[in-house]
Parts: sequence; C-alpha cells; structure tokens
Amino acid sequence: MEFVSPEGLRLDGRRPLEMRQLRAEIGAVSKADGSAVFEMGNTKVIAAVYGPREVENRAQQMNDQALVRCEYTMANFSTGDRVRKPKGDRRSTEISMVIRQTMEACIMTHLMPRSQIDIFVQVLQADGGTRSACINAATLALADAGIPMRDLVTSCSAGYLNTTPLLDLNYVEDSAGGPDVTVGYLPKLDKVTLLQMDSKLPLDTFESVMQLAIEGCKAVANYLREVLLENTKQLEYRRGS
Amino acid sequence: MSSRAGTTPSTYSPSTQKKKPQKPTFNDSNGVRSDGRGFYQCRPAYLKTGAVSAAGGSAYAEFGNTKVIVSVFGPRESKKAMMYSNVGRLNCSVSYTPFATQVRGQGSEHKEYSSVLHKALEGAILLESFPKTTVDVFALVMESGGSDLPVIISCASLALADAGIMMYDLVAAVSLSCVGPSLVIDPVLEEERWQDGSLMLTYMPCRSEVTQLAVNGEWTTPKIHEGMELCLDACKKLAGIMRSCLKEEADSPSIQ
Amino acid sequence: MVGLSVGETNFIRGGIAQDLRCDGRKRLSYRPIHIDTGVIPQANGSARVRIGGTDVIASVKAELGRPNSAQPGKGKVSIHIDCSATAAPIFQGKGGEALSTELAADLQRCLLGGKSGAGAGIDLSSLSIVEGKVCWDLYLDGLVVSSDGNMLDALGAAIKAALSNTGLPKVNVIAADATSSGDQPEVDVSDEEFLQFDTSAVPVIVTLTKVGKHYIVDATEEEESQMSSAMSISINRKGLICGLTKRGGAGVDPSIVLDMISVAKNVSENFINVLDSEIAAAEAREEE
Repeated sequence: MEFVSPEGLRLDGRRPLEMRQLRAEIGAVSKADGSAVFEMGNTKVIAAVYGPREVENRAQQMNDQALVRCEYTMANFSTGDRVRKPKGDRRSTEISMVIRQTMEACIMTHLMPRSQIDIFVQVLQADGGTRSACINAATLALADAGIPMRDLVTSCSAGYLNTTPLLDLNYVEDSAGGPDVTVGYLPKLDKVTLLQMDSKLPLDTFESVMQLAIEGCKAVANYLREVLLENTKQLEYRRGS
Repeated sequence: MSSRAGTTPSTYSPSTQKKKPQKPTFNDSNGVRSDGRGFYQCRPAYLKTGAVSAAGGSAYAEFGNTKVIVSVFGPRESKKAMMYSNVGRLNCSVSYTPFATQVRGQGSEHKEYSSVLHKALEGAILLESFPKTTVDVFALVMESGGSDLPVIISCASLALADAGIMMYDLVAAVSLSCVGPSLVIDPVLEEERWQDGSLMLTYMPCRSEVTQLAVNGEWTTPKIHEGMELCLDACKKLAGIMRSCLKEEADSPSIQ
Repeated sequence: MVGLSVGETNFIRGGIAQDLRCDGRKRLSYRPIHIDTGVIPQANGSARVRIGGTDVIASVKAELGRPNSAQPGKGKVSIHIDCSATAAPIFQGKGGEALSTELAADLQRCLLGGKSGAGAGIDLSSLSIVEGKVCWDLYLDGLVVSSDGNMLDALGAAIKAALSNTGLPKVNVIAADATSSGDQPEVDVSDEEFLQFDTSAVPVIVTLTKVGKHYIVDATEEEESQMSSAMSISINRKGLICGLTKRGGAGVDPSIVLDMISVAKNVSENFINVLDSEIAAAEAREEE
C-alpha cells in the first residue's frame, strides 16, 4: 500500500514531517485538581489529576516519595467499530503502566512523601498515537494541578513507511504494521524518558526516526508551554491584577 | 409447599407442538384473568420464615408460581478493606437458579434487581443500630412466575425480621401491569410479557412511607394515581399477612 | 464522597428552605445548559451536554443486525453508561460499575417504555428493515466525563440530543424475496442518503431531589449529599409519564410522591423547551 504519494503527500494530505493539528484546553473537569483535553488531529483524550492527597491503601504508602497511579480507559465509542471492552484489559493495563512510569519520572515525588497522585486518562476518540496524546494531556493536567515537575514531559511518535520517515502516525499508518517509535522526552533537560518501538528498523534509520520523534516532542512542548502561558494570563486577568 | 395438580405420566414424552406466545385475552365484562383471578385480586401468598437453618434469618415466599428464598446473614464485621462507617452496611444480592426461567439461564438478565432490593430495604432498616458491620441479604429465585421483584422484596423484609434486624416496619411490595386499558395487579409472567407499562411500589404501612417506586411505560397522571392506590391497598393487606406469619412463628412452640 | 462540615450542611439546607441555593438559584431552576452535537465523528450521532460542572457525552451507533425472534418487527436498542475515572477517583477500576449499571437501567426504563413497546421514546418498529431478518441495532453509549450532580438528567438530555443528531443511512433491500427462509436478504447501505431520526417522542428526565421538606431540581453534588430521597421522572412532550424511579433509601409519604410528580410535570414543560432550543442552536452551529 502506498502511504506516501509520489508528490510526497500522505493519506491525510500531510507532508512526511508534518504533525497533525494540535489543540489543548485546560480545566475540562471541574471537580478534579487539574485536568486537560488534548487533541492531535482526530485523536482526543481527557486527563484528570487528583492529588496529592492521602494514600488510600496504607500498605502502598511510601515514606520518602509520593505514590503515582494511573488509569487509562477507552470510551466505547472511541474507535471506528464499536467493541465493548472490559475495563482493565491487557492493552489498557500496559498503557496505564507506560504513562505512570513516564509521569513518575518527571514528577518531583520526593517533595510529597506519604501522599498519592492519581492520573486518569480517558480516550474519547482514537486515531493513532493515543499513548502520546495521553502523556501530553497528563502533563498539562499535572501542570494545572500545580504538581512540581522537573520538566514538561511530552511525547510524539514517528514511523517509517515506504522508505520515508513519517512524523505522528495516524490510525491507518499505525496499523500498516511498519515500525512505530514512540518517544517521551524532557525538552529542557534534553532527556528521553520513554522509548518504545514495534517491528524492526536498521540502526542508522532508527536514529533518524527517533530524532524525528524528538523534534515532534519539542514542537509539542512549545505548544503546551504556550497553552499554559495563555491559561496563566487568563487566570491573572480574572484575578484582576 | 403446594402439591402439584394432575397426575405424573408414567413415561416421558416431549411435547411435539410448540406453544406460541399469545396475548392474554381479558374478558372485560366479567373481569376474569387467565388464571381465574379478578383484575384487582392478588395471587394467594404462602410465606414461611426459617427456611434456611444456616442463616441468621430466612424466609420462603410463594406467590403462585413465583418461588423465592431469602437468607440474611449478619450483622457481621465489614471487610477490612472498607472504610470506617458509623452506620451499618446493607449488601443485597439477587440470583436466579438456572432452572428458574423458561429458557435456561435467562435470570442473569436482571442485574439491576440487587440494587433495587437494596434501595427498597435500606430505608426500613435502622442501619445506625449496627455500626461497622454488614448485613448480607441473599435472595434466590427458584422459579420465576411473574412479579419476581416485589416477591423478593417482601420476602427479604420478612427474612430480616426473622434475623432480628431492627426495622422501622415491614416492607411490602406489590406490582401491577397496565395491559391495554386495564390495570391488573400482581401480574403473572404471561401478563408481564404483554404489558404496556408496569408500576412497582414498596411500602411501609405503619409509617405510611413509600420506600421505592418504579414506573415503566407511558402513564397519565390519573392512571398513576389509580395504580398507586391499588398497590397501596394491596401492600397493606400483604403486610397483614406477613405480620401474621411472623406472629405464628413466634407463637408456635420452638423445636429446640 | 463529599466531605462537608456541619456549617456547610446547615448552609445548604437553610438555603434550600429559603428558596435561595448556594449558587443563587431558586429551588426549581436549572444551571445553564450547554449542548454540542456531532462531537464524535465516528458515530452516527453524538452530543455533549454540560450542565454546570456535570459533563457527559452520548453517542449513537447503528449497526445492522437480526431482530429478536420474539419481536420480529422491531429493532434493538441497548444502552451502556460508563463513569469515567476522570469524573471521580472512586470510579477507577470496577468502582464505577455499580453506578453505571444503575444509570443504564434507569435510562432504559425511561426511554424504552414497557415490554410491549408502548410508550417508548424510541419507536422500535421504525428500526426494522426486513421483518424478522434485518433491523438496526442502536447502541447508545454514555460517558460521564465530569460529575457535579444530576447525572441522570444530563445523560437523558445527552441521549435526546445525540438521537436528534443521528442520521440513519438509507437501506435499500436488493433481494427482498429471499427464497429460502434461512437466507439473509441482501441490503445496500447508502452512504449519501440519511434519514433523520424522529425524537419528538423522546422524553426528558427530571430528577427532584428532596432535601428537608422541599424538592429541588438539578442538584449539585453537595446538595445531593444532603438528600433524603430523589425521584427521577421521565416525561414526554404530551405530558405523559414515561418512567419513574426513586433513589435514596428514605421513605416518603404517598401523597408527597404524587405532589412530586405534578411538580416534575410543570418543570418538564419548560425544560423540554430549553433543551429543544439548545439542541437546535447546537445543530445550527455545527452546520456552519
């Protein structure tokens, strides 16, 4: 199947190195301590953060750092054909764990000992790159909740189809079975916190694909920073100073 | 328990003709239903407490073909994982035997019964009389013959009384069906299948309080009034029967 | 769970008794309602309803299926509700399941009418394509994204809005007179012509929450924590009652039940008009 036309356009009309349209909104869930909606093209996720608060299960309490928990769920209507999945299937459990580990790496957990932070991400529409979108949404929600972080961790995926590196795969490109590299990145510290790849890729191409994903992460980080700044300005304006 | 009418055939032969479901016909002129009852006449109720010896309290109820056993355990210590609560917890569960329905295993369709049973009973129990503990109410429908839920609720309140759980009053439950223009009380399975609407009411007669009300289908306000009046009246009568059942049990010399 | 101090509790209860609630509303007035339609592109119809801090999404998906053998001339509708953990941490894992099934059962009762199908908000026989062979299976999915009380009313409104946003593709039966009885007739699903779903009969749900001696509509989570009982009544445009459920353990006097029904009926007239105009506005915005 042809994923890049001879004119250098992808199936959805993007260039190979072009990202999908980003949109983010802070404060979608009124009762949560922090929340955000993040959209990448047709992929749309909501993240809500509760905490830091008292640890529910005393056995899990840690005396030197905060307990970070994460749950990833997909809405019934999020995919094209309606399949009713039970909560906590293997895929959700795995993605929950990936998001938890990524967020845990950037939250300054040692500042909040004996407490618990819950991150809930809900996929409303899935069109490829849900785990990247979830991480980006979770970052915004954590920032909205005012939880101290080392950096804004962002994520983006990149693939390699028709001998062309492609940034930010959508569902059709993702399910083509080609290599798919998802990177979680701390832009200020220039550190990679998450790296996942399906399928196989020669080492030298891998480097370029990964670099592409990192560039994507940086672009996302710039956008998130803008959104946060705008939100803070709004808050300041409302306070009237 | 009731003896079955008719003789048992000596050999087994599966019935060859399949029964087609047919809409029950009501003869409005004399107001008689398929089982010979009048529109506003309930099925004869048979109630008995102490059906399960292992339970703290139990009751058996038989309304026509609907047969239900409810056993009550507790109050016993709440699970460790549960948070402290200064009122008691009520845990209700309704299950069907696989042979309760005409098609095997159909009883699992009634998932919401457990929560309705809980809502109907919790208002009647003095939950603050047993803090930190849980009372378990397990209902088992042995045969589903229509109006299952009201029978379960009435039977459960009897079982709670048998277990000595403090209650404000006995909860009596009655349902009625709206079939065409007429209201029929305490419907059987066949009538339920063709009903246009249903109304279930659970009631504490001494306190004159409705603990649960569920209405289904399209109703006008006067019709709801009429239906509620009918149900309230039937609930009062049913509560009388439940009360006399408990009294009888208390009066009878204990076997121990 | 809402943790309220004695002072807060008294403030809420006192406010309700004096017909002035914490957010300045009267007992029988709603919070502002905001509706967006067409929010889920993959679905046949979808809507997002926000009532104050409560935020729910409903989607309608239609699939071709076989009708039930007991009811050959009718389509099927199934309702599923999910309470997302984003709405409250207690919904994580299987925590939301009990509430989800309860909400789904209540909605089913309010929207689908009696067993014979009389008084149903959704006309099941309109979903039939070839009697006994092919029909539409409608899947109504609700998702609670954020909860601040009054979830059932919001879900009812969202489903109503999603249904009016729904276009069912026109189905042409190619080989209707299938010779053998077991054969499924061939159908052609048009992707150009859509039939608008008729939602005039879909009822609205009005929940009256009883706090002290008074009833309020559209209770917030704080107010719901003070309730003794609540009555959810679904009423259609004709003023007929299509379903009723009671929540909360405390018993109420039968005369109060009847009074609540008549109050709900009065409230519903206004609520239906507000909803319809909001839905129309949302549809107009979407078309722009």
